[in-house]
Amino acid sequence: MNIKILFYRLLICTMLCTLMISCDPSKGAYYKDAMQDQPKPAVDRSDDEYVMVTTFVNFPMYVNHDQEAFHRWGRKMGVRTTVLGPSEWDVVQQIAFIEQVIPSRPTGLLINGTDPAIAGAINKAVDAGIPTVVYDSDIVDSRRHAFLGTDWYEIGRLQGEAMADLIRGKGKVAFVGLIGQTNMENGYRGVQDVLNKYPDIEVLGKHDSKGSTEEAAKVASDLISAHPDLAGLCGFDATTGPGLGLAVKEAGKVGQVKITTVDWEPEHLRLVREGVIQVLIGQKRELFTWYGAQFLFDMVHDTNMLSSDDDAAGITNIPHSVNTGLLKITADNIDQFDPQL
Amino acid sequence: MKINSNIWQDRVVTLSATILVLVVVSSIIWQGQFANLDNLSLVLLNLSIDAIVAVGMMVLLISGSFDLSVGSVVAFAGGLAAYLMYYWGVFVPVAILVSLAACLLIGLVNGALVAYVGINPLIQTLAMMGIVRGLALMVSGSGIQNLPDGFNALGQSQFMGFQSPVWYMLIVVVIFSFLVRRTIFFRRYYYIGGNEKAALLSGIRVKKMKVYSFMLASALAGLAGIILSARLGAAMPTAGQGMELRVITAVILGGASLLGGQGKIMGALLGTIFMGLVANIMILARISGYWQQIILGIILIVAVATDIIMKRRGTSPR
Repeated sequence: MNIKILFYRLLICTMLCTLMISCDPSKGAYYKDAMQDQPKPAVDRSDDEYVMVTTFVNFPMYVNHDQEAFHRWGRKMGVRTTVLGPSEWDVVQQIAFIEQVIPSRPTGLLINGTDPAIAGAINKAVDAGIPTVVYDSDIVDSRRHAFLGTDWYEIGRLQGEAMADLIRGKGKVAFVGLIGQTNMENGYRGVQDVLNKYPDIEVLGKHDSKGSTEEAAKVASDLISAHPDLAGLCGFDATTGPGLGLAVKEAGKVGQVKITTVDWEPEHLRLVREGVIQVLIGQKRELFTWYGAQFLFDMVHDTNMLSSDDDAAGITNIPHSVNTGLLKITADNIDQFDPQL
Repeated sequence: MKINSNIWQDRVVTLSATILVLVVVSSIIWQGQFANLDNLSLVLLNLSIDAIVAVGMMVLLISGSFDLSVGSVVAFAGGLAAYLMYYWGVFVPVAILVSLAACLLIGLVNGALVAYVGINPLIQTLAMMGIVRGLALMVSGSGIQNLPDGFNALGQSQFMGFQSPVWYMLIVVVIFSFLVRRTIFFRRYYYIGGNEKAALLSGIRVKKMKVYSFMLASALAGLAGIILSARLGAAMPTAGQGMELRVITAVILGGASLLGGQGKIMGALLGTIFMGLVANIMILARISGYWQQIILGIILIVAVATDIIMKRRGTSPR
């Protein structure tokens, strides 16, 4: 074989190989894998400080779920986590906290979404270049980078379906919770929309618990006195469930007045076990703050680059909106949530 | 040069000195974070609403009364103005004037029942606090957003690096500081607070003056509520919750006494600034909310105890 023929054969083989490789649909993946396999410089997180700004810093549900998961995440990642906020429910003070933490340049801000009015403060943080994630209720008018939470309308809808089922589609039902708070107002709409489909159900309206178990118990007692044939009570904030349970127990109407309510604190679980509360609709609050903090970390450290320069491309490399879903607790699955008793 | 030792008995002087020390120490500890225009303008912005309410509360405390309904009035005023603009399409200045008139009416009812019927201010304004909070919930429901741009501009515009509520606060303080120091009308409140019977015997129409002081406190709370709504671009029925105690604390820190007869408008401003600075420092120091209440409580006790000790020595702060 002369050298010229050998040269042409080699050339054709090379061209065919090149063509085959170029037509391989997994080439991009090879490229990305190759990029990802390259050793990355170790992420320097020694100066990282992630700050959570809540509306009520010592509210037991927030402390036990949101803040516990946030600090646990911080310990796992070896970064500093700080929780700030007013010591009583106060949206205006929460705004003050958000605005005043901005000049200290935290690595990321995790903000408890409570009221649309905090949008301006969130936008100030975003404008200052601080990665900002909102959890619990979305602040739609803000330019937050990501949101994790649940749909309060859905919380109401699920309660409505559970209540209609419990009272077999007839009887008087009242709602008890905070009045004037956007997320709960969406919840009232959800339950109302479901119960409107049942002509034999009479809705007695929404009643203010003022965020207190004692007040919720008082309101429920008054409702039971005024309507001896009351069929059900739907609760809409963490303090309401125990209050409704107390009133129903004191009136000797356990099982007769059905209760559906939100959240799953130890008192709520105990009342489910006692048969006082029939259904709990719970949020997966630990996921709000664990993944919210992780999103901030991933955004700051470019864990998942979607382009050669995400900032220049005008994109964020974390999910825009995440619905963490709801959980339903009844007597059937109480053991999985309350194993100690 | 000998400094007159009496000046240290003036709460305005001692509080100013304390604030100065606080600012210097904080600037050293949090270099670049505390002493910059951004941070200071945010501190002033966030205390401006409380400070406007504190001016009205100071006049009331000078006369020997106080008003627990101011926080509810803040929510109601913003809610009513927002309701009129959003649902009825009322022109912005008209909505503001109607809202302020409604607040004056609340003050008139408070003042008339305290002065003419003799209801204790604590009971009267506590009851009014609940009534007005209910009204705020009625008008603003779960909150009203998307208010007219012209209205929002009242609370969101900037001038010389400071957002407009800071300027409104300064204007209110300057005007009332002048009025309380220089006009006979406002000086009468010192006589009423110092000795009501003597004031009555000297020809001062005490009851009428009391009604005016409640109207002033409500009007300033209403103004603060409208500015707050404009700043947030929204009306919140929960706005102003707990504000009454915060404002009374600031005013007492600023030199007022629950017994009446003493205090200065500048003291109300300084008391509010002091509380705003403490809150800001606790945020910079990342001190938990648990501690904030404890620290503010201790500060209040120390201020009032100092007041009592100085009174016993016959050198009450001015």
